[in-house]
Amino acid sequence: MNNSAIRNWLGYATLALMVAALFMVFDYVPPEAEQGIAQLIFYFHVPLAWVAFASFGLVAIAGIFYLWLGDQLWDDLGYAAAETGMVFCTLMIVAGSIWAKPIWGTWWTWDSRLTTTFILWLMYGGYLMLRASADDTPQTARFGAVLGIVAVLDVPIVIASVRLWRTIHPAVLVTKQGGHGLEDPRMVATLLVCVAAFTLLWVWLLMLRFNQLLTRSRMGALAVRIAFASAAVAGGK
Amino acid sequence: MSAPVVETHSLAKTYGLAPVLREVDLRMLAGTGAFIIGGNGAGKSTLLRMLAGLEAPSGGRALIFGQDTRRLAARYRRRIGVMAHESFLYPMLTARENLEFYAELFSLADPRASAELWLGRVGLAEVADARVRTFSRGMEQRLSAARAMLADPALLLVDEPFASLDHDGAEIVASLLRGAIERGASVIATAHAVPEIDGVEFAVFEISRGLLLPLVHKEEVRRGRIRSLLGR
Amino acid sequence: MSGFAAVLRKDLRLELRSGESTLALLALSMLVLVVLVFALDAARVRSVDAAAGALWVAMVFAGMLGANRALLAERDNGAIRGLLLSPLDPATLYAAKLAAAFIFMAVAEVGAVILMVLFFNLDFDGSTVRLAPILILGAIGFSALATLLSAITGRTRGGDMLLPILAVPIFVPALIAGVKASAAALAGAPFSTMGDWLKIMIAFDVLFVTAGYLLFEYVIGQD
Repeated sequence: MNNSAIRNWLGYATLALMVAALFMVFDYVPPEAEQGIAQLIFYFHVPLAWVAFASFGLVAIAGIFYLWLGDQLWDDLGYAAAETGMVFCTLMIVAGSIWAKPIWGTWWTWDSRLTTTFILWLMYGGYLMLRASADDTPQTARFGAVLGIVAVLDVPIVIASVRLWRTIHPAVLVTKQGGHGLEDPRMVATLLVCVAAFTLLWVWLLMLRFNQLLTRSRMGALAVRIAFASAAVAGGK
Repeated sequence: MSAPVVETHSLAKTYGLAPVLREVDLRMLAGTGAFIIGGNGAGKSTLLRMLAGLEAPSGGRALIFGQDTRRLAARYRRRIGVMAHESFLYPMLTARENLEFYAELFSLADPRASAELWLGRVGLAEVADARVRTFSRGMEQRLSAARAMLADPALLLVDEPFASLDHDGAEIVASLLRGAIERGASVIATAHAVPEIDGVEFAVFEISRGLLLPLVHKEEVRRGRIRSLLGR
Repeated sequence: MSGFAAVLRKDLRLELRSGESTLALLALSMLVLVVLVFALDAARVRSVDAAAGALWVAMVFAGMLGANRALLAERDNGAIRGLLLSPLDPATLYAAKLAAAFIFMAVAEVGAVILMVLFFNLDFDGSTVRLAPILILGAIGFSALATLLSAITGRTRGGDMLLPILAVPIFVPALIAGVKASAAALAGAPFSTMGDWLKIMIAFDVLFVTAGYLLFEYVIGQD
């Protein structure tokens, strides 16, 4: 099976899982008694969170490999992961805001998880701004790699400090802990399906974008080789 | 047969889609000098930067003292002196302070003495304690030469060493280059046209359409035939 | 490590010679405090939280200016290439630049603390002195981060604006810890109560000085 066939299958699988997830969230699982129907956002919020952080981790890992091996492929992967991750991080913040309004009455609250996500979003934004404001050279790729590594190293400290910050001054209302207190097995099942669906969606989008960037890099390398060849033909030797 | 000081294998460089240098093969032994000539934008400075390890090649490799220029260890960098269009000098420091700084970076035993010595050699002893900001271009160039040769390098890479120099300045730099070769160092220099340096033989190459080609045999340089050959 | 001493000495010498611009930058960081006094209108009431917050804003501002300047000196005449071509280890260069940025930030901090006490109606007593280790930890961490990042932003378009965009989110944990610890110190609390915050700051410092030391060679190359 070649690459585009794999991507197509991935796309179909994503579609199927997404449909299943939507069905389960809106038709199958019972909403939690306390928070009502708004609580259903939780089934999107949690998988979005996992994907946003995982993508960020991938940016850093790709960065390490790029610095170590120097192959443009790793930079393309990192850049694709940053763009994809930014999408999911933005969705997560939006979802968090939509959740906050009916539950807490405000569009935003500095609870520990939303704050950490916001910081992550800013780091993503910084990475993308850096790549956008510099030319497409190996040095820029190195910059991106270093930034990605540095930012990821920071994430655990961000989580720890924000949690400590919020313990001392709790936010308006404490966020419902995800994963604990899911009494109904239907809730667990729905959550798992949603996580799987969003993960697949992430992988699929990532592969699409990665393939685009990779193709672009390879075309660039090919163009350089053609330039050399035609110079050789024109100029002798 | 000693190992070459500088060696390149199919060295190539593109800027975007324009190949600036291609299939450059060069071998230089110790105690030899080479001039690379070419017009503006021919790629002379690019070649020198790649040899110095400041720029990565698009293809092929360059070796100095047998080491890949992209990963040159500190102990090899200690033996290389580079003179470029930029002087690498700090305008707000004095000439002496600049040289002492570089002497310290290159771990010379007595930075003060080395700085003093070289200031004399390039004829800047009187302005030793003036800030480089006040220098003319020619004076800065001479100080840059002193900076490059301060640590008695085994390899000198000089980009257009005689640019912006008056006759006296050019004489000074020429004699410094000659002295370096006589001491067994290798010199690779670039220029627009081959200058006259008495008393030393050097090979001459030309960069033309991205290729490095030997221009003339060194004997012909001494006999002055180079002028007519270059007279296009 | 003679290279470290040589570079640091050279940077300090250049800093002293540039005279007015150094003072101007220090003054700029102090002006931030003035803005905050009026913006927060906290001068009426003794507020250690407002004071600590304002202090850290001024510090971060000064830190960014300091880190930028540390690498700016190498742009004249391509001096950075002179450094790269020398036997100097990029990691040693990082250490020297970090030290220079730290010194600039430390000097700014002293001025900022004095002004903070004056503007926010606090006292010059033991609580002020207890700020010192907290501010030092903060300065080390921020200088380490900003020195590494300014090597990146210095070489991109819109670089000066990009440095705060990259640095601030990453610095947030140390910022939170620093402000909280500073406010506690100003309120007279002993160090034992700030243990967690200090641990966070120390962890941040260790992490970023190490990361900078190891990664600087990848961002300082001239390709």
